[in-house]
Amino acid sequence: MNISFHIKKLIIIYLILSYAEAAVCQTEKQLLPADIKQQTLVTEPVTLKKGFFRAGTLFNYRIADKYFTDSGKKEYYVTSTWGSTTSYNLTLQYGISDRFQVDLITEYMYTLIENQSTETDAATNISRVVEAKHKGLGLGDTHVSFKYQLMQESKRKVSLTGIFNVSLPTGEKNPTNIKDANQYDLPVGDGTYAAELDFFARSIIYPYSFTGFLGYRYNFEGKKITNTTDMLERKFRYGNHLEGGLSANLLLNEWIVLANELNFYHEGKGEIDNTVTPGMPASWALSYSPGLVFQVKKFRLGESVKVPLKGKNVPADPLYVMMIQYVF
Amino acid sequence: MAVKRYIFALTLATLLAPSVTSEGQAINQERDKYTLFTMPYNMRPLTLYRGELQVYAGYKFAVRTQSYNSDGDVVQLKNTGTGSVYHYYFVDLKYGVTSFLELAAETNLIRRGIRSESASYIATTLTSTDRISVNKLTEVKGLGDILLMASVRPPIQYRWFDFSVTGGMFLPSSKYEPKQPTNSVVTSSTAANSYTINYHYNYTNGYGVVVYLLSASAKMSVKKFSAEADWTFKTPQKEGKNIRWEETLVDKAFSYYDKTYQYLLSDAYTLNTSLHYQATGWFDINLNGSFEKTNGGWTEYWGNKYTNPETRLVTLEPGFELQISPKLTIYQVAGFPLKGKNSDAPFYLFTTIKFSNFPFLR
Repeated sequence: MNISFHIKKLIIIYLILSYAEAAVCQTEKQLLPADIKQQTLVTEPVTLKKGFFRAGTLFNYRIADKYFTDSGKKEYYVTSTWGSTTSYNLTLQYGISDRFQVDLITEYMYTLIENQSTETDAATNISRVVEAKHKGLGLGDTHVSFKYQLMQESKRKVSLTGIFNVSLPTGEKNPTNIKDANQYDLPVGDGTYAAELDFFARSIIYPYSFTGFLGYRYNFEGKKITNTTDMLERKFRYGNHLEGGLSANLLLNEWIVLANELNFYHEGKGEIDNTVTPGMPASWALSYSPGLVFQVKKFRLGESVKVPLKGKNVPADPLYVMMIQYVF
Repeated sequence: MAVKRYIFALTLATLLAPSVTSEGQAINQERDKYTLFTMPYNMRPLTLYRGELQVYAGYKFAVRTQSYNSDGDVVQLKNTGTGSVYHYYFVDLKYGVTSFLELAAETNLIRRGIRSESASYIATTLTSTDRISVNKLTEVKGLGDILLMASVRPPIQYRWFDFSVTGGMFLPSSKYEPKQPTNSVVTSSTAANSYTINYHYNYTNGYGVVVYLLSASAKMSVKKFSAEADWTFKTPQKEGKNIRWEETLVDKAFSYYDKTYQYLLSDAYTLNTSLHYQATGWFDINLNGSFEKTNGGWTEYWGNKYTNPETRLVTLEPGFELQISPKLTIYQVAGFPLKGKNSDAPFYLFTTIKFSNFPFLR
């Protein structure tokens, strides 16, 4: 009788414990540094944690096929010209504190413009083929960014991050290897310093994250060859650049993010020798970028396409972006 | 005796406690749907499951930097500035009427502009140099025909071998007649007798006649490896009629008229052979070899019928299939042209998203 009473007690205790085990499973998981390094684009902190280091590369590719005219109409380039731009960015990011991150970005550029046409002399009926080949190959400009979380993120709240970016003209700014007006190598750098201030606001409503940003870039005056026929270095200044965007990222599963971004920018008129020039008109573009970002442990792989929707005096071709990142 | 009863009761409670928890979290029917949604490639039959609906949306970005001439030699188009890109979008709707009969409807949209080599004609006099420049752009844009298909396979469960037969037809639903050209003349602001003529031809997408499709597929799986082959034949129902725009340029102004011509589309054959490796349940990598050929058919020019040139193209397509959620799958393929004849040789990236559902199954 006594034994059966104890066994009854044991059964009751066991059943309580077996359900209590399930209840314990509901507790919030404590994130270890290794877990934080594996967080996705949606769930990761806005800036890197202190001591974290992330290295990455971006591959950008665009072909010149269509453009937005001065009146905002999308048109094909009509002359027989083939142009493509490829750049490989190297990005190094380091978390100085949990709120402060510094980025170093540099790029390797490969620009190609090829053109061929036939010229016929009406008097002699003699034709000749005119070829133009321009290639730009080499290290481009360098950018240094300082990101600071002005308002830190907590559940269902908004974080605010300020970014100060400096562009350094490390890329070749002048055309080189000039043989004639049709045969020379293109510059791979802008040839000017620039300072940019951006503000990012982000909110996570799991499994979504929403970001809004606004930035302004001031381009300083520089000097470079703007015409290959006279080879004179002239003073120039690009128009200032205002940019804003909205993005909504969605976790499709624990490691794949569907990224969406709507981006708008406006760039003012450029000047050569303090005079507004038709070659550097004011421009603007509204673009949409869908993309997929895969988080595989500490690796992040992504691909996206930036599709210009509307614009003025800008290329209308999609820009392909592939990304690889790793957090150490 | 009582002790034995209680030990039995304890054992029973031990066994039942976790099973109550696990059974309580699942509904059998849902789990079955989930199993079908997440069925890996190497375990799937060639047609859909009964009641399954799939919607595909795809985008192909092709870079046409080279082509093959009639001798099969590569012609570098980008060197002459006549390379181009094309954007191809498609949607496909499939429904499994039974587990061995599938119905599908498909259409596409294409957008591309092909530039011809620019030419200039120069007349030099003692006092001036007059230049007439000519550019030509051929644009193809528009919705394609609607393709309706039905596929059947043996009414047996897929284990390691499957085959299917597909029949279908392209309904000439698209506006296949080309629009009037939008040529223009741009006068030079610096030289009175110099100007640029921009020819801009506007073509649409579509066959203009009913085109029949017949296809046969076979698939074989051994553990994580699979091989699939399909052969497709397309042939027009009859000769078609279309219009060709002619233009006249007088005093820098174009006038147009159209002329009707007849044509017979070429027969088209496609053979795809792919090898698949199911790396995990949600990731399949594959390598496809594609051979396309067209022959026969003719096109009328000025009252005479000219045979369409025979075209051939062999393409290698590495790709993957990635299941990102039970209902969503992504496919991506890169195409590399290897050999061809009278054909464009584009490199392309083809990305497709598939959404699956069982709309009538609760």
